[in-house]
Amino acid sequence: MPDVAASLPADFPTRHAVVDTPQGRQARTALYFVAPAVLLMLLILITPVIIASVLSFSSYSLGSPGFEWIGAENYERMFTRSTYQKMLTATLTYVLVVVPMSVILGLGAAMMINSLRRGRDIYKTIYFLPVMAALLATAIVWEFTLHPTIGLVNKTLADGCEVGWLYVLLSGSWLGGDPAASWFGHGCADGFPLWLGNRNYAIWTICFIGIWQAFGFNMVLYLAGLTSVPRELYHAAEMDGAKSAWERFRLVTWPMLGPTTVFVVTITTIRSFQVFDTVEALTQGGPSKSTYVMMYAIFEKAIRQNLIGMGAAITVVFLFFVMVLTLVQRHLVERRVHYS
Amino acid sequence: MIGRSSPFFEAAKHAVLVIGALIVILPFYVMLSYSLKSPQEIETNTGGFIGAQAPMVNEYCVKLGNTREDCTETPVVFNYTQAFKQAPLLRYLLNGVIVTVSIFLIQVVVALPCAYALAKLKFWGRDAVFTMVLFCLLIPVHAIALPLYIMLAKVGLTNTYAALVIPWTISVFGIFLMRQFFMTVPDDLIDAGRMDGMSEFAIVWRVMLPTAIPALLAFAIFSVVAHWNDYFWPRVVITGNRDLFTPPLGLREFRGGADGSDWGPMMATATIIVTPLIVAFLMAQRRFIEGITLSGMK
Repeated sequence: MPDVAASLPADFPTRHAVVDTPQGRQARTALYFVAPAVLLMLLILITPVIIASVLSFSSYSLGSPGFEWIGAENYERMFTRSTYQKMLTATLTYVLVVVPMSVILGLGAAMMINSLRRGRDIYKTIYFLPVMAALLATAIVWEFTLHPTIGLVNKTLADGCEVGWLYVLLSGSWLGGDPAASWFGHGCADGFPLWLGNRNYAIWTICFIGIWQAFGFNMVLYLAGLTSVPRELYHAAEMDGAKSAWERFRLVTWPMLGPTTVFVVTITTIRSFQVFDTVEALTQGGPSKSTYVMMYAIFEKAIRQNLIGMGAAITVVFLFFVMVLTLVQRHLVERRVHYS
Repeated sequence: MIGRSSPFFEAAKHAVLVIGALIVILPFYVMLSYSLKSPQEIETNTGGFIGAQAPMVNEYCVKLGNTREDCTETPVVFNYTQAFKQAPLLRYLLNGVIVTVSIFLIQVVVALPCAYALAKLKFWGRDAVFTMVLFCLLIPVHAIALPLYIMLAKVGLTNTYAALVIPWTISVFGIFLMRQFFMTVPDDLIDAGRMDGMSEFAIVWRVMLPTAIPALLAFAIFSVVAHWNDYFWPRVVITGNRDLFTPPLGLREFRGGADGSDWGPMMATATIIVTPLIVAFLMAQRRFIEGITLSGMK
């Protein structure tokens, strides 16, 4: 490459060029270029992981002069104390409900929209709106909508009690059941659920808001995935005897969407593990810890109550979940989830 | 799908999708509707979508010693003026802009040179740096909020703009994305720049940056949407100092002190916070969907 150096303009600072080869210079420039990023990665991403791991074996709290090593006590507590068992239950319930539901709804919506003759764009736009809006704002609106007395949902349900045919339909008495014994009948007689204030309903309500918010994102990814399925494959499948829509889905669409599904499931799972906004704004982990998810537990224990050791242990378990998930995803992607 | 579905199936699909759309829209409808209605209409659930807009007396205004005539206004005016009067909403919005813009700019300044070096320069340790990027992609910043909070508290940076921005200055995802993009830029373009006597630094900003505008725009949308809407991190590092509240924090605080009569102004606040991104999205849907689903481009 000496010709490159020779072609440099006369006023080019050749101080280094005299000493170094162009490659040497390039290497040094490269170090300047990566140095800020590397330093920030070390400081902002890697150091905190180490700090959390170390502190999780201690009873550290901010502002106190010293701290003790307490071994694995924090971890032991997490798997024995009922508070933390409720935390793991709430988190896993949320993840195991929101992920499958929002993936199935996302896929279903995408396939329906994709097969429409007209009106595709309007549905796509509407279903994507929750992804754009601040979750905190929409969560608060959902809270109003689900307000036990003046919320739109319970008002509408209560109004439905007055309408004869609707009562028959929803209470299931047309199937021969006792209308008063049905869920709807109970609601008419004793009032409809408090939703967020009732521990039997709160986690499901939070899950519902999570699904409401997430499925449009999955739909968009599936729509992109569907456009890349070659139409010839459907013809080929039909020649091979796949006559029903279900057969075509099972033999062509689903396998071809494999890579999209792996990605959608991973990202939805990681996001679901991180649920916080809805819980903090609407239930504060309650009633009776039924919505006490991990991110909220970290916030409440470590940042509000200054139990940093415990918070660090939850952080480590949390990171473990997320990292394992991502590694599984990468492994699947490398193995080509197509045709598997 | 293959073939043409029958008109019956087409209608059935529309029916299902319309019901879905109604559920999706419901909170947006409630938010906008409540932001227009009077407290009585909200409480009794009357007045349809926009309410009767009957003039009402603003009690806050009366308490300040004004006559009742001067304080009579329509509910929509009441709700939206109260949104700005009861809390420094303008300040919150400004904070939101400051924080999201600074985060994006710093992310680009840090990520672009690094991505260029990883894609186009040969140097000792390149594989190690790239491995590090791949490892850091495993760590969501929200997950390590606690140790980050401790670090910031130790250096006395909680309750500052810096605390809101620092954890997001490094976007490993941005580095990864831009590296993949730069790999596709032909070497000839860079060599031509070098022939012209451009420094590597100039090549990054004057050759690579212009070619990367579409990818960068998508990344900008990804970044701005995430940080404008973020509630968790500001909630952790900003405690009490209202001057530093971002829009979601302001809305949350509003809710904390709200009794039924404040629902209108609060929904007006929510509408104001949500509107900029929704409007931008409606105007440039394709770009937004590209940007938000960026992470699908791996």
